[in-house]
Amino acid sequence: MIVLLVAHLVAALIAPVLVARLGRVAFAWLALAPAAAAGWAAIRTPEVLAGAAPTELLTWVPSIGLELAFRLDVLSWLLTLVAGAIGALVLVYCAAYFEEDEPGLGRFAACLVGFAGAMLGLVTSDDLLVLYLFWEATTVLSYLLIGHRPQSRSSRSAATQALVVTTFGGLAMLGGLIVVGQRVGTYRLSEVVATFAAAPIAPGDTLLVTAVVLVLLGAVSKSALVPFHFWLPAAMAAPTPVSAYLHAAAMVKAGIYLVARLAPAFADVPAWRWCVLVLGGATMLLGAYRSLRQHDLKLLLAYGTVSQLGFLVVLTGTGTPDAALAGVALLLAHAMFKACLFLVVGVMDHATSTRDLRELNGLRASMPVLAVTAAVAAASMAGLPPTLGFVAKEAALAAYARADAADLATLAVLVVGSMLTFAYSARFVWGAFWDGPARNAEPTHVHAPGAVLVGVPAVLAAASLLAPLAAGPIDTALLGYAGVFGEPHEHLALWHGLTPALGLSVLTWLVGSALFAGRAGLERAQDRVPEVPAAEDVYRRIMRGLDRVSLEVTGASQRGSLPLTLGAILVVFVALPGGVLVATAPWGELSLRWADSAAQVGVAIVTVIAAVAAVRARRRFRAIYLVGVTGYASAMIFLLFGAPDLALTQVLVETVSVVLFILVLRRLPGRFDDEGSRGARAMRVGFGVAVGAVAAALAVVVPQARTAAPASDGMAELAVDYGGGENIVNVILVDIRAWDTMGELSVVLAAATGVASLVFLHRDNVARADRRVREMRARRRRALGRGHRPADGTDGTGGRTWLVGHEVHGSGRHSTMFEVVTRMIFHVVMTWSLFLLFAGHNNPGGGFAAGLVAGLALVVRYLAGGRVELRSAMPVAPRTLLGLGLFLSAGNALASMIASGDPLQTWIFDVPVPLIGKVHVVTSLAFDVGVYLVVIGLMLDVLRSLGSSLDRQIEDEEHRRAPSAPQPVGGRP
Amino acid sequence: MIDSFAWLVPLPVVLPLIGAGLTLIGSRDDRFQRVVSLTVLGLVLAASAAMLVLSHTRGTLAVAVGGWPPPMGIALVVDRLSALMLVTSTLVTAGVVLYAIGQGRSSDDETDAGSPLPIFHPTLMVLIAGVSTTFVSGDLFHVYVGFEMLLVASFVLLTLGGSVDRVRAGVNYVFVSLLSSLVFLLAIALVYAATGTVTLAHLAGRLDALPEGTRTTLHLLLLLGFAIKAAVFPMSGWLPDSYPTAPAPVTAVFAGLLTKVGVYAIIRTQTLLFPGDRLDTLLMIAAAATMVVGILGAIAQDDIKRMLSFTLVSHIGYMLFGVATHTQIGLSAALFYTIHHIVVQTTLFLVTGLVEWRGGSTSLSELGGLARTAPVIAVLFFVPAMNLAGIPPFSGFLGKVGLMQAGVEVGSPVAYTLVGVSALTSLLTLYAISRVWGRAFWRRPVSAPGALERVLGSGASAGGGVGDAPGIGAAPTPRVTGEDDQPTGAIDTGVDDLSLRTVPRGMIAPAALLVVVSVALTLVAGPLYEVTDAAAASLWERTPYVDTVLQLERAGVVAP
Repeated sequence: MIVLLVAHLVAALIAPVLVARLGRVAFAWLALAPAAAAGWAAIRTPEVLAGAAPTELLTWVPSIGLELAFRLDVLSWLLTLVAGAIGALVLVYCAAYFEEDEPGLGRFAACLVGFAGAMLGLVTSDDLLVLYLFWEATTVLSYLLIGHRPQSRSSRSAATQALVVTTFGGLAMLGGLIVVGQRVGTYRLSEVVATFAAAPIAPGDTLLVTAVVLVLLGAVSKSALVPFHFWLPAAMAAPTPVSAYLHAAAMVKAGIYLVARLAPAFADVPAWRWCVLVLGGATMLLGAYRSLRQHDLKLLLAYGTVSQLGFLVVLTGTGTPDAALAGVALLLAHAMFKACLFLVVGVMDHATSTRDLRELNGLRASMPVLAVTAAVAAASMAGLPPTLGFVAKEAALAAYARADAADLATLAVLVVGSMLTFAYSARFVWGAFWDGPARNAEPTHVHAPGAVLVGVPAVLAAASLLAPLAAGPIDTALLGYAGVFGEPHEHLALWHGLTPALGLSVLTWLVGSALFAGRAGLERAQDRVPEVPAAEDVYRRIMRGLDRVSLEVTGASQRGSLPLTLGAILVVFVALPGGVLVATAPWGELSLRWADSAAQVGVAIVTVIAAVAAVRARRRFRAIYLVGVTGYASAMIFLLFGAPDLALTQVLVETVSVVLFILVLRRLPGRFDDEGSRGARAMRVGFGVAVGAVAAALAVVVPQARTAAPASDGMAELAVDYGGGENIVNVILVDIRAWDTMGELSVVLAAATGVASLVFLHRDNVARADRRVREMRARRRRALGRGHRPADGTDGTGGRTWLVGHEVHGSGRHSTMFEVVTRMIFHVVMTWSLFLLFAGHNNPGGGFAAGLVAGLALVVRYLAGGRVELRSAMPVAPRTLLGLGLFLSAGNALASMIASGDPLQTWIFDVPVPLIGKVHVVTSLAFDVGVYLVVIGLMLDVLRSLGSSLDRQIEDEEHRRAPSAPQPVGGRP
Repeated sequence: MIDSFAWLVPLPVVLPLIGAGLTLIGSRDDRFQRVVSLTVLGLVLAASAAMLVLSHTRGTLAVAVGGWPPPMGIALVVDRLSALMLVTSTLVTAGVVLYAIGQGRSSDDETDAGSPLPIFHPTLMVLIAGVSTTFVSGDLFHVYVGFEMLLVASFVLLTLGGSVDRVRAGVNYVFVSLLSSLVFLLAIALVYAATGTVTLAHLAGRLDALPEGTRTTLHLLLLLGFAIKAAVFPMSGWLPDSYPTAPAPVTAVFAGLLTKVGVYAIIRTQTLLFPGDRLDTLLMIAAAATMVVGILGAIAQDDIKRMLSFTLVSHIGYMLFGVATHTQIGLSAALFYTIHHIVVQTTLFLVTGLVEWRGGSTSLSELGGLARTAPVIAVLFFVPAMNLAGIPPFSGFLGKVGLMQAGVEVGSPVAYTLVGVSALTSLLTLYAISRVWGRAFWRRPVSAPGALERVLGSGASAGGGVGDAPGIGAAPTPRVTGEDDQPTGAIDTGVDDLSLRTVPRGMIAPAALLVVVSVALTLVAGPLYEVTDAAAASLWERTPYVDTVLQLERAGVVAP
């Protein structure tokens, strides 16, 4: 079985290629796959009928009970034969049916062959999940096949409808299957059925009963039973071979198969029985009734199929041996006659370009073989002897003819359904072949169909006719399935003698004929009867409702508003951690020390005042200063707690931030533009206070829970012994937790490049930068060519003046004094930064602080002399510094690993240096140099983009004095 | 060193960082950047794969950075969960980088394509390093560092090119991310204040010892921070507003990795730090809300990228559900589903990039007929899309089945509800996808906006003609049958003229590669589930992780 499935898969995969190469003949080759399946099943017949079901097993995902288990018992054998044989015939038929230039034929062929494979897998799988797998595969392939001509809107919506409806049922079924599987402890289908057959479900076991109903829901939706019947007629948008195969012989039979398969286990569950009988019966009547008024032959057959599926579900779901036997016999008969009839319609459509039975006239004369074929198949559908349909229907009527009231009610439904079936069968044949309404006496023009098109349905009709001759062997074979329920009273045969069933059959023929005779009146009557609220409308309404709900929910939850998004998060913050805190904290037992010293209180007051004032500030400039004040105040707190290193870093960071903010402010309006209404502001204040209160409460309450010793105990001693440094902050940064630092370096790098990309890599700037780089390179080459070394302090671009600010700035924009002083102290500051870098391991300082100091030196140079000065102060691209810095520190990690230590392991050396004495070298210094470089790179990068680049933009604008609006700045939100 | 292979552990972080440095230094040289990026990713992939094998067969790997034992120093730990996440994320990123390289520089519009700017590669490297950092970190604060790395890198990638809507999206994103970082940072400070350590393995024991109220508060606080990252409703609003505007490769990486980092953190929180089932019901409710609200959002979208962003949110609910079941099978399925979702969601965004390239748009109202005009792209879209919808036999189905089994096993009303909700979400995902398929791929091509204008223009003039001389106007009227789509002038032959740009092979091949990977997940589902089962078992057990780290601590300071 697995080999066959793979063969189908391969056939499906190569189908597009084959079709492209060979054209439509490829279908005939592809037919080999389902034919092989049928042939294989035929070969295994003796074995299967002897009761030894061949099995195959391939482990796949044992964790979730998913195993590729296959088993060929009688029921599977029957369906394999049916699906394989009809699949092969339909594919052969396709080879003649389609035009060579039909678009998308390759895909179509792939889907159809794939479908045949899925069907094979579905009916042979012995694992509930694998069954579901193939179940959904048929759904999806059916979706693609219905949508074969997707230009038509109705075809698309029919495809979607079929997909949604059957997947809905499928997922319900999956839920049911999982409950069943978890309960039994195995997903092996045969074991599950055996378990429940041995120990039926207790009526009070609501969970399991629900699961069974859910599984049934899957079958009901797949087999187009009421209330899901509507998708099947709509699916007739598919090409006719698809209708013949999927929507008559194969896919819709999947539901019947499942019902038949599970009936031995669940037929005794009342919920199952009621669902089966009520839904099946209703479907049989409704489908047949609707069928009587269809003019499109395909729709007529589609409603007929719906009706017959209802019939089949009743039979297979009842759970008595007679009904089961009749059910599988009818399943076989139905597959033959219905596929045949669909194919006949396909031929007619092909030959006459219409399927409307009002327009088709007298085709009997022009297509005699087809007419006979159709007549035989329709006779089987109507249950006329000597067809297989008759045999099956006799058995069905007999199965209910001898029991209680419920059975008799079922019987009545079946008889009425059969009458209607007889009527629409007659209507089909008569309308298509024998006569049309008299108003158009002209026989329909026909171009002759080929032998294949006529031959394939003829084969199926012949089978319907010949099968009853083998009623005995068929009976014996099918008993292999029906025997599970017990010994049936009746056997399949053409002639049982004068039984009540025969009488009922005769009755159906008579009433059916009467209905056919009065069909015109009946149609009119149907038109007058108000439509029952159609299930399709309900579906549409649900889908429209779904669309509306989705729009409303999304509109409400997804406004695209940042305050709303943040608000939602803060609400959760206040409600959940905040709520739990308020509810559970030991408020009475908190020990709280308000302050250690008066200085702390002072700093705190300053911080609070600055923070509140910053929020209230209407001018950006003031707000930034006030935020800066809170930053410096934090530095004071650090200092008061005895952490000069942190304080130094904090001060530097704060300074740099304020400077950068102010650089950016040049391009922003002076005042905040969004003030909001009074209510909105009150709400924001409320939010802010609530969030702040929760955060503060957390900070007060949570630390009180500490019992264990903190990790920092003993760190100071180890920092000296093992880290080789007196400054514990620096040792933490470059050694103990250097891994953190390395990560943060990359953050700095990314942030710097990000700023550059936003501001600098704006379209105009990119072009200009490229040009400038080229020019610079050319100039440098020339300079080097002359053997002239650029003067110190310049990058070789100017090379003549010491103070380059003049070249750019006009008078009044800069101060020469400032520039000169800056020049004087620049090198001093840079040297100091180097000192901080090297001394940092033992004294306050370190790479980060040193980098910031160097950066501030650059800031001053920039402020004094503008961008040209900046370039001459640091003639290196910031990305080089950044990249080199990160490379150094990360490379340090790799190098220390290679040196067979841990990553970022530190080695301490005392190197004797002449003249100086012993130098205490710690390898983590290299790491710190990386930090230093990255920080300088960041500063340079930000100065260039927020400083120089904005300068240039401003100058450009002033230069142009453009009448139009200022050029939008890339990167400003 | 504890284990002779522990040296592998830092590589997924160190190598990308070196790569970031190198690609930035050599940012003028395209080819150099590509070579470095691909080499780094190849090496990281190899290291991660090796660690997956090692952690599965030999046990958890751990290393103390700088020889400083925890709790002082940082422990890096790779167990099965970390290794799985590393392998998946690296694989997916490699696909995306190949795609971005294939996309190449687009000469006419440097603000649009993903890779034209020289900072794409370095920033992506930092992003990868950040993601890896989160996965290997055995230290709560270091997880925060990882978050910072990927936050800043993703912000840079999100605003590539600096167009107005990207910057707006970026600002949204950065605000929300900073808020999440702030919450997380607060949580870390409080955790340290309460327990005196940030080493995860120590926290495992010390958090248990805290009074229940404090513990629950900290638990909620951490979950909140991670849930924002993972885009759990109601903290999910930021995602669909920020992802879709970015270039295709960027969105693809984000979709695959960023939210999953949050999910990863939630898994660690629930298993290692707070293993009692204290907040499981809350998580389940959040999971259900995320699924439903997310998928309803997906249905309401007209743009494929936005639709996918909403399915991304929605399916986070599945992973949360699995974790919240507090069962081995549930966690295992959640891990499986996470891996599946990383691959599939990335693939779909890449393929949507192909659609955009080919059709000039990702808006459903402007696309059409791609199944015919671009059959390859159609297949590349259909397979992962079905996978996303959980159609068997694809991996989405396999994950979903495991989750539903776990839900049934738990058997509480909430769990049954979640089983139902996850089935419903699956159905609605399928519906959302069938809408995309029906409109973008099946429907008659609507033609590009320009062509539409042409058609409208000609229609208007034709209308004028009709007004002037009713007899003549009949000729060019397009056939309108209620059944068919209204032809817009671009019928049949016109279709080929509208095929705007042929998609470079260099873009199709990586997308196809990822599609193959996503399908391969189905084939290797058996062994993969075996690994996730074992991972889930040891996660609930906690001792394999904790013991490995404590062993480092016992080893103490190692002299170099």
